[in-house]
Amino acid sequence: MLQLVVAGLTVGSGYALVALGIHIILRSTRIINFAQGEFVILGGLLAYSVVTYLHANVWLGLLIATVGGFLIGLAYERFVLRVAARGGELTVTIVTIGTVYVLLYGHALVWGSLPQPLPYFSGGASDVAWHAFGFEISAQQVWVLGLLAVALGALALFFEGTAYGKAIRAAASSPVGAQLVGIDVDRARAISVAIAIALAAFGGTIVGPITLVGGAAGIAISIKGFVGAIVGGLDSPVGCAVGGLLVGVVEKLLEGRFGYGVSDPVIYGLLIATLLVRPQGIFGARRATRD
Amino acid sequence: MKPLLEIEALDAGYGGLGVLHDIALEVLPGELVAVLGPNGAGKSTLLRAISRFDAARTAGRIRFDDRDIGDVRPDRIARLGLAHVPEGRQLFADLTVEDNIRLGAFGRGNAAMRAALGDAFERFPQLEKRRRSTAFELSGGEQQMLAIARALASKPKLLMLDEPSTGLAPRVVGQIFDIIVALREAGTSVLLVEQNAFLTLARADRAYVLEHGRIVLAGPASELARDDRVRAVYLGGSTGEAV
Amino acid sequence: MSDRIKADTRLLPIVAIFVIAFGILARGNTNLIQAATFAAIDAVAAIGLSVLLGNVAQISLGQAGFFAIGAYTLGYVSTAVTWPAAIPQWAQFVLATVAGTVLAGVFGVILGFIALRFRGHYLAMATLAFGLLVVGVVRITPSLGGAGGLTSIPYPQFGSLSISGVAAYWYAWGMVAIVAVLTFNLLRGRMGRAFEAIRNDDLAAETVGVPTRRTKIAAFAYAGALAGFAGTFYAAFLGLIDPSEVGVDFSIVLLLMVVVGGAGGVTGAILGAAIIGITNVYGHDLENWRPVVYGLLVIIIAIRFPRGLIGLFASRRTSQQTPQSDPDSATTEPTPRQTLPSASDDRAWLRVEGVGKRFGGIVAVDDVTFDLKSGTLTSLIGPNGAGKTTLFNAICGVTRPTSGRITIDARDVTGWQPHRIAALGVGRSFQNARLFGDMTVLENVLVGAYRSETATLASDLLALPLSRRSGRAAVERAEEALRELDLTRIARVRASDLAFGDRRRVELARALAANPGLLLLDEPAAGLNASERERLRGDLVRLRARGMTLLLVEHDMRLVMSISDRVMVLEFGKLIADGPADVVRDDPRVVAAYLGTA
Repeated sequence: MLQLVVAGLTVGSGYALVALGIHIILRSTRIINFAQGEFVILGGLLAYSVVTYLHANVWLGLLIATVGGFLIGLAYERFVLRVAARGGELTVTIVTIGTVYVLLYGHALVWGSLPQPLPYFSGGASDVAWHAFGFEISAQQVWVLGLLAVALGALALFFEGTAYGKAIRAAASSPVGAQLVGIDVDRARAISVAIAIALAAFGGTIVGPITLVGGAAGIAISIKGFVGAIVGGLDSPVGCAVGGLLVGVVEKLLEGRFGYGVSDPVIYGLLIATLLVRPQGIFGARRATRD
Repeated sequence: MKPLLEIEALDAGYGGLGVLHDIALEVLPGELVAVLGPNGAGKSTLLRAISRFDAARTAGRIRFDDRDIGDVRPDRIARLGLAHVPEGRQLFADLTVEDNIRLGAFGRGNAAMRAALGDAFERFPQLEKRRRSTAFELSGGEQQMLAIARALASKPKLLMLDEPSTGLAPRVVGQIFDIIVALREAGTSVLLVEQNAFLTLARADRAYVLEHGRIVLAGPASELARDDRVRAVYLGGSTGEAV
Repeated sequence: MSDRIKADTRLLPIVAIFVIAFGILARGNTNLIQAATFAAIDAVAAIGLSVLLGNVAQISLGQAGFFAIGAYTLGYVSTAVTWPAAIPQWAQFVLATVAGTVLAGVFGVILGFIALRFRGHYLAMATLAFGLLVVGVVRITPSLGGAGGLTSIPYPQFGSLSISGVAAYWYAWGMVAIVAVLTFNLLRGRMGRAFEAIRNDDLAAETVGVPTRRTKIAAFAYAGALAGFAGTFYAAFLGLIDPSEVGVDFSIVLLLMVVVGGAGGVTGAILGAAIIGITNVYGHDLENWRPVVYGLLVIIIAIRFPRGLIGLFASRRTSQQTPQSDPDSATTEPTPRQTLPSASDDRAWLRVEGVGKRFGGIVAVDDVTFDLKSGTLTSLIGPNGAGKTTLFNAICGVTRPTSGRITIDARDVTGWQPHRIAALGVGRSFQNARLFGDMTVLENVLVGAYRSETATLASDLLALPLSRRSGRAAVERAEEALRELDLTRIARVRASDLAFGDRRRVELARALAANPGLLLLDEPAAGLNASERERLRGDLVRLRARGMTLLLVEHDMRLVMSISDRVMVLEFGKLIADGPADVVRDDPRVVAAYLGTA
């Protein structure tokens, strides 16, 4: 069973990064980016391209995917989200859903509809497995969990420890107050979105060797990332990360016990139940659901 | 003496709604100038038009420190030495007291931020005791002090305050006002918008009274304090023009 | 909205002609006919979403769930249920269709209840979850075919006629026709106006007397039922149901159809469905390009043409949506003013006892007690943040007092929903004149007459005489309110195009159309110039003379002092003075509250 938990944590890391990205964008722009999962896929595919066509190391692929994600995020905020926001909340929701469609099928146009492999981070086309405490854990799984921790640490350091990170939080908390002390609120928002998309690309690449990149899984990742964010608490970064991991674990445990197919309805049911019983999620504080 | 803030023939409002008409006002260096008037007179609109958020100037000129700030980007105004403590304070609710103050000196470097923190705690010892609390957790009076401290962090030449006494108990209001007077003594010019006329006129150098978006009275505070027409503006009465 | 109705009025006949022509001319081409049949099925579901999204402004990413419910109901009933031999196949089909539609409608009610709790993104997610849950459950239910789907669903048989091929085309478009007519009637009627009001400003709608909760649930039920109806024929026509075809993807496609065609009304949905249908036929080999183009199309249209492609056909000006009022009535004497629902002279119309309201640690209103007698004009004044608007909100039901009791016309209304309190004869205006921006002045005021209308949902759907009469009576009331405030010349102007001074008067006319006994006016003079204030003064005096009870929150002291019978002063949530105007003005506590003490 511990096996399943580890597998769950691994896939859950992807969900956690989606959830965290959703949180960051929500906090700074009050927009829920339904397309977040698609950027995860895109990130993985970018890394794949770097590895395959530039014949580069997978670590370079990770770097370029992350930086690429950052740049794409800047463009996404500037040309899609900011423009859509002028039309109101409903318009933004519709536009992000449209983005889902564009990316979901768009990536198949460029990379084909079949999922592609990504080299394992320890080098090579196959994974290294270790046995410990009665269960098996692979090197890639260790990388995933480790890199997740690194990403979370970097984010925490940025948002809690640097002046600009705090300035971004300030701009999200009170745009007026931020403006009055000289913070460029528009730029703060753009950078927040860019960070969130970079995070998504990062996530897609680190789980890529295990789950393969591309294919039709995009929307499922988005949805499960959402469920994680809602269950953990949309307005709490810790909640989002924990929620994502939790969804992953639940998914793998159910799959292990009852076979494939049961985990989905249970997870969606969990979403509805959370929305009904405790909409702010486990770690969430404010009742912001009725805005 | 050249005015620090000079406003001429200002019209301003929100979208299609014009609120201020033909406002002429000035603040000389080292002065504490009050803007009074009943609710809805346009006092907040005036400050917002100067800081360029929410309200838009549709006519007239605003000059600060000898430059026209009518078209300056809103987030650049703070750098010019003009700080605004808005209605509702607009603190960074989930950041700590320390961070709020430091961000007041955003863009000026770490040394400035540290200095700002030191000055703030000297001036507001209560804030030092609560330095790690988030702004959300503070009491009303403490929040007002924090808002002022944050505005002072950029070492402004002119501090604008929008109804700092709102929602505060009388004793705390007195404290805040004492701090404002002390600031003026220390050389910061102050433009104070208030509803509380007597308290304000007792401490200000000069005052303007707004009604329905226009300046109806102006002059040295000591004179206005004795003027019955001020009361008529607030409460309507026989000394004003009857409707 | 009225422009969408107008677009429907003009375009639906054209659509009908096109459908008929197509059915005749293309009948030999099985591919085209089949694609057009699917387009019709999609259109039925899209019309429901169009109403939900475009007329009530509620988003649903779960419509495929209702579609699936309809489809699986029919599928299950047709394959798994053994019918007594006496019931012919067509009867089974009809029963199954009704069952599927009704079941979908019931689930629509459930989703509607859930949707009441959420707005915006959360609503999108809740509906998404619903759709996913339906399909997820179906996949693991063996009796519904599980992940493999349900197969061998027979065509409906009417005697020797099998509803397949061309017959299916006519049947499907017949469904569209029925749904189009019902929807068209619905949107022109009382509930259609309620939808529009809710879409523009649901708080204002609630205080005017529109039961917003019930109406939103009804909208979800309608959209769900329509999607279910579409689903039933989908199952019968295709003969099989594949769960992945009725999942999230389909929900998104429906949304795409509605956004591209134009949300609100019928024609946009049909157009959207047709466009998707066409691209399905001709773009078949462009497997992945199609969705990418749809997505881009949706993004561009949502941003540049929020009204969809239909918006290119519709003009913004005059309204033809309001039921025609009898042309003669405009020249005759206005009907004598109905007696106001006011109490007899001495009884207190409004009684506020010990009312308090806290928000967390902040006390906004503190133990306020007063009575208002009918036919009086009372002003509530006080410095900023004193709790005046909160007190208003408590009286008309927008917030629930944390202590105390509020009685209107001898009924305890504490904790009642705003629309019920409005129904007792309480009218309200807001600080910033909350009008229904997309509706004309006349339509805004018509919503004011909502609670007096007798039309029901059924009579609206079927455009029965009851609805027509009820609508005419409402128009007469509305026109009278406009006459009273001299607004008749701008009756057809869109509310969002109005000058500020007119906005307030329109809001007042809207409140008057409900024939209130008590009027709560929140800062009616704010933002008005001198002549507008003078006119307001005249209006208020006239209303009082008619026996109405008026309670004003105001800051314009000259106005207050000149017309108030009584002035109450609130400071820090407490009533510190209550009496005739000149007494209150000189009360030292009041002076201190406003001007401070030295």
